[in-house]
Amino acid sequence: MGGMTEDHLMTRRTALGALGALGVVAAGGFVVGAPATARAQVLGLNESVQETMKRLFGDRPIKDGEAVIKVDFPPIAENGSVVPISVTVESPMTPASYVRHIYVVADKNRIPFVTRATLAPEAGRAFMGANIRLGETGDLRAIVEQSDGTLLMVKREVKVTVGGCGG
Amino acid sequence: MPDSDNVRLRLPSTIKAGDIVQVRALVLHPMERVERDAQGKIVQKNYNYVNKVIVTYLGKTILTFDTSQGVAENPFFSFTFRATAPGPLKVEFLDTTGGRFERTTDVKLS
Repeated sequence: MGGMTEDHLMTRRTALGALGALGVVAAGGFVVGAPATARAQVLGLNESVQETMKRLFGDRPIKDGEAVIKVDFPPIAENGSVVPISVTVESPMTPASYVRHIYVVADKNRIPFVTRATLAPEAGRAFMGANIRLGETGDLRAIVEQSDGTLLMVKREVKVTVGGCGG
Repeated sequence: MPDSDNVRLRLPSTIKAGDIVQVRALVLHPMERVERDAQGKIVQKNYNYVNKVIVTYLGKTILTFDTSQGVAENPFFSFTFRATAPGPLKVEFLDTTGGRFERTTDVKLS
């Protein structure tokens, strides 16, 4: 009985993966010149985390950000539908040097891209907090883009007791 | 655009000039999740979720969030701004169906 369920899941997973790949190809076609809302939807696609990272950052090098990025991710999230997180970056916030973007990416979510904060120096501090969803246990990444284009990343594993992404 | 009852903003009770102020913002919104049919295929439709948050202080956009369905129902965000002068702080939430929810609060310095 157990074996049968496993097999069923495997085929479902494989089928989903194939569908996801198709979705990326289809979506790629209308990125150019799409209105703001459509583009924002394209930010969050049903794809693997490798594809998300590739799409967001291309081949740009991403450095280790442990020294400057302080993430407040819970080690255990009992309810995946509401997971409070925050990210703080130790960085000046002056027009000459500031943090431009803070990305949050959840490796195991079917839509790995969660949010991107775009900051101006007037924000005063490179900080963002949000309540997010996590589908299952896996790494949660915070990627920071500084005003000079440098990318920094930290990862933490978050254990999810009850997944919150549904479908 | 009038203030929406769906949006809540929370600021510290006293703010001094030059302070870096943390704001908490919440919008009541269903944030529809991706649905799948019995075969596990994604149901293609325009899902209703907040995909943009815009924060404006003294008429200048200081922060925006682009979000996916990976943000929880009734999205909550926190952020900071440097209180340089008294004036309006506006937070707008835009969703994929054209919905727009906003609230403006007057920043008073003490």
